[in-house]
Amino acid sequence: MYDFSEVEPLYAERPDWADVTPLQQYQGVDPLAPINYSTEYQDATDYFRGIVKTGEISLRVLQLTEHIIRMNPGHYSAWQYRYRILLALQLPLEEELRLMDQYAIDFLKTYQVWHHRRLLLGALRSVDAAAAELEFVARALDTDEKNYHTWSYRQWILAHFNDEARLWAGERAWVEHMVERDVRNNSAWHHRFFIVWGSGMRVGDEDRERTLKRELMYVKEKIALAPNNPSAWNYLRGILEHTHTPFSTQAIFVQLYTTSASTPGDVFDLDNPPPSASAVLPCENALEFLADIYEQEGGAQISKAIEIWRSLADEHDTMRRKYWEYRIKGASQT
Amino acid sequence: MKAAASESLPPLARNSHAMHCKLCLSGLPFSQVEMDSSRIALGFYCLGTLDLLGVLETKTTPSEREAWRNWLWEQQTHGRYGSGFKPSPYMTSDILLDEESEFDTPHLIMTYTALMSLAILRDDFSKLDRPGILKFLRSCQRGDGSFSASPNGGEADLRIVYCAFVISSLLDDWSGMNVDAAIAYVQRCSSYEGGYGQTPFGEALGGTTYCAVASLYLAPSTPLSPIEHRLSSSERSRIIRWLVQKQTSLGGFSGRTAKAADACYCFWCGAALNILGAGDLVDSAALASFLGKCQYQFGGISKAPSERADPYHTYLSLAALAIYKPKGTNESWELPQVDVLRNATVDTALWARNRIRAGEV
Repeated sequence: MYDFSEVEPLYAERPDWADVTPLQQYQGVDPLAPINYSTEYQDATDYFRGIVKTGEISLRVLQLTEHIIRMNPGHYSAWQYRYRILLALQLPLEEELRLMDQYAIDFLKTYQVWHHRRLLLGALRSVDAAAAELEFVARALDTDEKNYHTWSYRQWILAHFNDEARLWAGERAWVEHMVERDVRNNSAWHHRFFIVWGSGMRVGDEDRERTLKRELMYVKEKIALAPNNPSAWNYLRGILEHTHTPFSTQAIFVQLYTTSASTPGDVFDLDNPPPSASAVLPCENALEFLADIYEQEGGAQISKAIEIWRSLADEHDTMRRKYWEYRIKGASQT
Repeated sequence: MKAAASESLPPLARNSHAMHCKLCLSGLPFSQVEMDSSRIALGFYCLGTLDLLGVLETKTTPSEREAWRNWLWEQQTHGRYGSGFKPSPYMTSDILLDEESEFDTPHLIMTYTALMSLAILRDDFSKLDRPGILKFLRSCQRGDGSFSASPNGGEADLRIVYCAFVISSLLDDWSGMNVDAAIAYVQRCSSYEGGYGQTPFGEALGGTTYCAVASLYLAPSTPLSPIEHRLSSSERSRIIRWLVQKQTSLGGFSGRTAKAADACYCFWCGAALNILGAGDLVDSAALASFLGKCQYQFGGISKAPSERADPYHTYLSLAALAIYKPKGTNESWELPQVDVLRNATVDTALWARNRIRAGEV
């Protein structure tokens, strides 16, 4: 990596750039929200505009783009031009990725950083490189474990290269580790849905009934661990809807979470893990789920659903009082 | 407790919020240099704030407004991709002599925000190259139905699709896109949770759920996708459930399940609920109480209490408050009606629709 921290003379003062004609930014009518550029930035971008005009492709311009990106990671023309140079000079793209590793961590929220990586991976067409990217993404998530760009980049890698043995195979174990780390990380739950249900079928998951059973077991264990976790409840609802399984199949489990006190049975039922003794009950998500079961059953059960919605509106979830009343109204009309 | 929440609301510091945006319009420090590649969008949030507060005429001079209109028009470029607006002249050396450069192309988000900014400034749109804009839209639509921000690449996701839909609705001309393909793309972004991700398979997110819902309501009926069948009642219920679930105990909305509240999602989630005809499900007293606390002591509104303000959160908070007027508050909280599909005041959106529409002379 070129060290820009050392005080370098401006491009305007450097003999090795004397052959380039710098082009100042257009200054016309009074601009809206003008930016007070630093001298260093103005100098670098003057030379960059000059370069774009002549179309020079060279290592010094590669360095110039890095210099600009350091100061302004959102400068997408600099990124575009950088990518063009890398391809034209057939530079080793793996090296570029390693250079970009630090940039990605420093500018985690800048879209261009991730877009550049996608372009590099697309050009590399290498499953080895893709596998290395999964490791890199895991490290990047250590810095910000819910970063949207980082997760969607991982999903892109998996789907784009779609290599069962090298990429997908370890994915469920990895995301399980992410859920272990924070059982409330919705991005991790979403990722699990993506790998198990959203994008094709994994080897070993062909028996969909068995897969559903395994996933139900998994999510219910996690709910038992932390009952008031909407991410896990949404996953449970999501897999039931996705597989067209009635919510009522989970009635026994859900009812363990709708009573106000935990009542451990004599026999531990593996299919229906109970909440821990310290759990705060009843759980709003469980109440909602049970009411949905009653509503789906219809008939005389509707009044039970209404009773639950009433208790959510008046007691357990008063913030959403109007929503629960809307559910009552909706069910009463049918 | 609910009544107490609105009684204890501080006044809406209208003047400070207006000054925050006015200050940004007049210039930004170098620490904001990343804004260079989205400056028109920033301008839209500043001008939109002044518009919502009803102070554009009093806080800015006619010559300032004229200069901004001229500057905005200077960002309209014409070339083989058609016509659109670029974010700023940050890659432009000479506006008249420059031939089109691959590295200085128009941008779809900037084109949408430029049109809305010009409408706020009550431009007559005589300089708008309508056929060029349609051509630009066509060069940005990709095979999967989505739109990329620039014709030669860049991000492609629901945000950009939404911009293409609003532009087509303002032109009242949908020949710039394959509507069915675009709608199919929007539908593919639907997540198991009920909200919409930024791209297919993405995690449900408040901002892109707004983009999806608004797009589905903006596009006209087609034989393949009649508007009344675009969302089934169960899909609609799932989206509503997910959106309502995003209102947190602090009163503000979060953008994703189990994340902290952020002022901007009060608009994105709140406006999506309003479009779905479920606006009355929002606890508006709690929402106003949260946004009241997000007011920054030196003007502007920030994403969460005790963070620094910016025009983006200031504008979206005010737009959310315009939809969800807190009851029993003083006149400082009075805001004009907004067009929730196009994200502007009703007056500005009407101006835009009447002046931008194709075929009007």
